[in-house]
Amino acid sequence: MPEGIRIQVETHLGECKACAESFQLVSLANKVMDAEKEMKSNPFLVTRIMAGIEELEQNRESYQRIPAYQSILKPALISVSIAAAIFIGVLVGNIYLPTQSINKLPVEMTYMNDAALESVDLFSQL
Amino acid sequence: MQYQPMVFRTCMGFLHHKDDADDLTQDVFIQAYQTLSAFKGDASFSTWIYRIAVNASLNKIRKSSKNQFLQRLETAFGGEKSKEHSISISDNENPENILILNEHKEWVQKALNSLPENQRTAIVLSKYDDLPQKEIAEIMNTTEGAVEALIQRAKANLREKLSSLNKKSKK
Repeated sequence: MPEGIRIQVETHLGECKACAESFQLVSLANKVMDAEKEMKSNPFLVTRIMAGIEELEQNRESYQRIPAYQSILKPALISVSIAAAIFIGVLVGNIYLPTQSINKLPVEMTYMNDAALESVDLFSQL
Repeated sequence: MQYQPMVFRTCMGFLHHKDDADDLTQDVFIQAYQTLSAFKGDASFSTWIYRIAVNASLNKIRKSSKNQFLQRLETAFGGEKSKEHSISISDNENPENILILNEHKEWVQKALNSLPENQRTAIVLSKYDDLPQKEIAEIMNTTEGAVEALIQRAKANLREKLSSLNKKSKK
């Protein structure tokens, strides 16, 4: 800024309160921005970036290295076996029929009254 | 890694926090590496990387503003309040000055954060990276005249916002 203009500005700032306040706030903003601008990044940032890129490459390679039978056939086989297991389960469930009891009690037995039977205690007291 | 300081400065201008800016710088370079095949050489490499840095910063801010909203909700419903980042400008200052400077720093950051995205981008690239308007125009894919207008409007808005914050603090 030329000397003459600088003196004029300084004189005005000395007289005008609003302009002085505005100038102070702008100086403050500049000071804060300069302080942030001067901040240095982490000295290990380059190492971190390189490690990140390396990890990315490794992930990409390992993804490419998976053979087709592993990426397609394996999930397909798992799905088929799950479907087969469900199908067999349903099939076996349908085969089952409630079996009729072979040792069916004779009809007379239903007329027997268990309560009227002779108590065992009767013999133990002898 | 000649572009690292400039990317870091850009991220710092948007985020105002060293650790966040470090993390974002890392993300920017990894993203640049991943999309290197998309760089056709129409613009200079620095312009291309600046674009990635600006977009990544704006995305990060958008995400964090959503998170802040959720955090506020959580706090309102009795959750723990997240810790604010501590700010320090210089270690040589006395505690009272540090306190005042921190308060002022918060004002400036608030004022910067309140700017619309395009004004904010223009002022960050101009003030933090000292880029000429021509390069800013290339990065923002606009004209030099538009950049000049954006910077002027950003400065006026900053002044206005700082003035209102100053008045509030005096009350």
